[in-house]
Amino acid sequence: PRARDAPSRRSGAGAMQPPTGPALASAPESAPGAAPGSSLLRWQWREVQAPCLVAGWILVASLAKIVFQLSKKVTSVVPESCLLILLGLGLGGIVLAIAKRAEYQLEPSMFFLFLLPPIVLDSGYFMPSRLFFDNLGAILTYAVIGTLWNSFATGAALWGVKQAGLMDEGVEAGLMDFLLFGSLISAVDPVAVLAIFEEVHINETLFIIVFGESLLNDAVTVVLYKVFNSFVEMGPVHVQATDYLKGVASFFVVSLGGAAVGLLFAFLLALITRFTKRVRIIEPLFVFLLAYMAYLAAEMVSLSSILAVTFCGICCKKYVEANISRKSRTTVKYTMKTLASSSETVIFMFLGISAVDTSKWAWDTALVLGTLLFILLFRAVGVILQTWVLNHFRLMPLDRIDQVVMSYGGLRGAVAFALVILLDGAKVRAKDYFVATTIVVVFFTVLVQGLTIKPLVKWLKVKRSDHHKPTLNEELHEHAFDHILAAVEDVVGHHGYRYWRDKWEQFDKRYLSQLLMRKSAYRLKDEIWDVYCKLNIRDAISFVDQTDRATSALWLCPACPSGERESGSGACLDLQVIDTVRSRRDKEDAVMHHVLCGSLYKPRRRYKASYSRHFISPSAQERQDKEIFQQNMKRRLETFKSTKHNVCSAKSKARLKKDGRKKVSSLGVAESEACTYRASPSSLLAAAVLVAVDSDDEESDSSETEKEDDEGIIFIARATDEILQGKKASGSLDVCPSPRIIPPSPTSAEKELPWKGDRGDLAVYISSETTKIVPVDMQTAWKQSISSLESVASPPGAEPGPHAKTLAGPAPEERHMMPEQRTCFQFPNPLLRSSRPQSASSPERTEQPELQPLMAPDEHGRMSTSAGPSNSRWLIQFNRHARFSDG
Amino acid sequence: CKLGQSVFLCCLYTFPSLSRLFYRYRDLAPQLVPLSYIDKPDVKLPYELIGSMAELKDNPFRQRIAEVFSEDGEGNMTLDDFLDMFSVLSEMAPRDLKAYYAFKIYDFNNDDYICKSDLEKTVNKLTRNELTLEEVCLVCDKVIDEADQDNDGRLSVEDFQHMIARAPDFLSTFHIRI
Repeated sequence: PRARDAPSRRSGAGAMQPPTGPALASAPESAPGAAPGSSLLRWQWREVQAPCLVAGWILVASLAKIVFQLSKKVTSVVPESCLLILLGLGLGGIVLAIAKRAEYQLEPSMFFLFLLPPIVLDSGYFMPSRLFFDNLGAILTYAVIGTLWNSFATGAALWGVKQAGLMDEGVEAGLMDFLLFGSLISAVDPVAVLAIFEEVHINETLFIIVFGESLLNDAVTVVLYKVFNSFVEMGPVHVQATDYLKGVASFFVVSLGGAAVGLLFAFLLALITRFTKRVRIIEPLFVFLLAYMAYLAAEMVSLSSILAVTFCGICCKKYVEANISRKSRTTVKYTMKTLASSSETVIFMFLGISAVDTSKWAWDTALVLGTLLFILLFRAVGVILQTWVLNHFRLMPLDRIDQVVMSYGGLRGAVAFALVILLDGAKVRAKDYFVATTIVVVFFTVLVQGLTIKPLVKWLKVKRSDHHKPTLNEELHEHAFDHILAAVEDVVGHHGYRYWRDKWEQFDKRYLSQLLMRKSAYRLKDEIWDVYCKLNIRDAISFVDQTDRATSALWLCPACPSGERESGSGACLDLQVIDTVRSRRDKEDAVMHHVLCGSLYKPRRRYKASYSRHFISPSAQERQDKEIFQQNMKRRLETFKSTKHNVCSAKSKARLKKDGRKKVSSLGVAESEACTYRASPSSLLAAAVLVAVDSDDEESDSSETEKEDDEGIIFIARATDEILQGKKASGSLDVCPSPRIIPPSPTSAEKELPWKGDRGDLAVYISSETTKIVPVDMQTAWKQSISSLESVASPPGAEPGPHAKTLAGPAPEERHMMPEQRTCFQFPNPLLRSSRPQSASSPERTEQPELQPLMAPDEHGRMSTSAGPSNSRWLIQFNRHARFSDG
Repeated sequence: CKLGQSVFLCCLYTFPSLSRLFYRYRDLAPQLVPLSYIDKPDVKLPYELIGSMAELKDNPFRQRIAEVFSEDGEGNMTLDDFLDMFSVLSEMAPRDLKAYYAFKIYDFNNDDYICKSDLEKTVNKLTRNELTLEEVCLVCDKVIDEADQDNDGRLSVEDFQHMIARAPDFLSTFHIRI
């Protein structure tokens, strides 16, 4: 069994059982005496019992999670932790009914050694560190003073109740016992807080304060628990003044020591990951191992292990992330989340199961009610007093409502339960009473408070971390404000509390990073060019993915009846969007948002930090990198355009074209392309729009895997041999005659609703010019993917297939329809243009420039089709980092 | 009025931050600003000095800020102006004052209304003239349409404040932390 030899946590642990009791009665029992001789099969339950039970419980808990999530209604009202506790109660009841005695307790050793570390590590590693350090003062105040106040007040008040004679005679406890109990019951529990608050979505500041408090109060809890425990064991009479002093001193030792252990291991971890270049595969292991070692080391010398792991996680993250590979990063992320999530699940389930064990219970109404009353009351009083003091120093004062949530959110959980189980029954005579009370308190806080905190937050209208769609005004003004602020800060040169952070960052940059980060990782940081190259590769890859979708979408486009296209929003490949009929106003809004969020120039200080155990959000850094990249691409495109083609007006014209107006051919690019194809008029006749009803036989290319999923009628523009050759001659990838802007194809929902998609993600634009930026080793792969794309766009069939011939009749008609249709296209895709030479150079098309000025701007047309333009507008962003692209 | 305001606001500051601000101001132009302000010298920091700061090179609003906060309206800042600017953006300044100054920054033509031309300027500054004229027009129309309460086609201070009040944590970001 895993934890049998494990050292017990916190001094007074005498009663420890192996984590897995005798086998579950319902489980198949072992049959030792079945076959004395040799046999084919032997039943070896005893040998696999422990791991098997562990795996079984985790499986049960995880399956339960799936079941809970099946019903959105239930999980939106009841927090998952409550459901798990209830499930645990049910399971415990079943076990009790079958085995006639309670099995499978939440063992303190198992809890502290195996279940708690993943949760703490996860919260430390993914802690929004900036938010955390910004609010460190408040967090520390609540964690230290608040917890001290809570435990002393609760303990003393309970003792008072006892003295008043309200409590049963059976509760044999003196002042020290009550103080001990107060110390373990008063600490806010990180596991419970995380589980509940994660689903409430309160604003980040409030969350980080409560959450940070729950993590950092561990030191106080440990010290108080240890001190009082030793006092109880020594007997109150023998306690001397020096012992009190020792208690005070040990607080500093435990807390600072814990943090120091964490820092030490963080340093080691960062140093080790610096040298894992050859052993990429075990990189994630180091993260977990060293963090766990930090926990164990702190535990070993009875320092605050939670603090150790928290600080280890917070501090190592930066260097580790820089050192390990991208895949390892993902692995670390997911493994951590998985471990933490399953630990949490198991903890809550076992809390429920443990509560069934009545043998440990000793009920005393006065004690239970008194404890409940006092912890709620003193928490509220403590929070209000401390907030009152803190608000004198805080810049963003915590208002009444925040205080209510903070006091109500002081949840107790498994830590308290494990600590109370650890009490020595021989020394602390009222242990059974304490256990019962703790269980009631934990259940009350998790079930009652956990259930009601959501409605309460709603009712009090607590600022949530909402992600509502900002109005146009907000978006605009927020940007402007940020700029103004940045400017004034720069002028005033006053960064106030950021001063020390700046100092730290300098130190970090000069010494720590150089020591702890790989040369490559470090260099990468200050040579933006490397980042640039890397990003290009990444975007090139994503471009290939997206163009696959784009091209297939394009081919479907003409298939839509034109009437529907005009009423709807173009090619509705996204089924969800079809039933959402959006009002004109909404649509305009959406378009404006697109226009803005594509082109707004983002100031430097915008960050958003949040923490979620169960979801992983892309980091802000990535978003920023993307933005820089897009801006650079845009700039390069522009310069390329103007230098190669000398089309000064191309920019504005291109924009108009993207707007869905019928000005396609006024674009210089289009003309040049058209010229290329006009040279071979005979081929034009041969070129036909092919209606591929069944595409299997022609599209035998291996690159057609994507296509084969598309069913039904597909229109394919097919070029003849000469065209293909001509194209290849003029348009090889490196010397591409025309800069091609190939928009991605976000789902139509994303196009309609900018807030639906990640802003950064939408704007992956790549021209074929990108090949120049793609490093040499990537070029071949890049070319391959491009050429495969081109072959998708225009399958290299030497002659029109049999279908084309049979459909030669409808083809010209098709061609006549082309210009009108094109105006309605979602994507003015040059890829399409090149693969449809006949449409580019058809007579209607060449007459367009003359027609264009006569046409009044059709407002409605613009709106209905401008999902496309807004789409391409992503590209037009101010290029802040222009100098890098020049270099 | 302005002077009184600035004195009032400066009182909100503790001495250390005030002196730090002063040294910063002095550092911008050590040859111009005397160390002692006892005899109230009439010193102005020319806008060129502020506008040429490296950090501000990218900022689209640098000139406008200097103009709004300087007493002469041309971006030449006295120490009072300098402190003023800091005070308005501090955490302790009342929300209405911040909104008022934000409004003033937007109000390019100083007619106490944000009219369409003001907004166009703002949008152009924010997007670095990347949008076409009609797009800017459209955006401005939408913005005015969204916030205009009295339908006069321009935003008054009241409109602006109303709009800000509607967004709860709008101005909470509009401050410099000390």
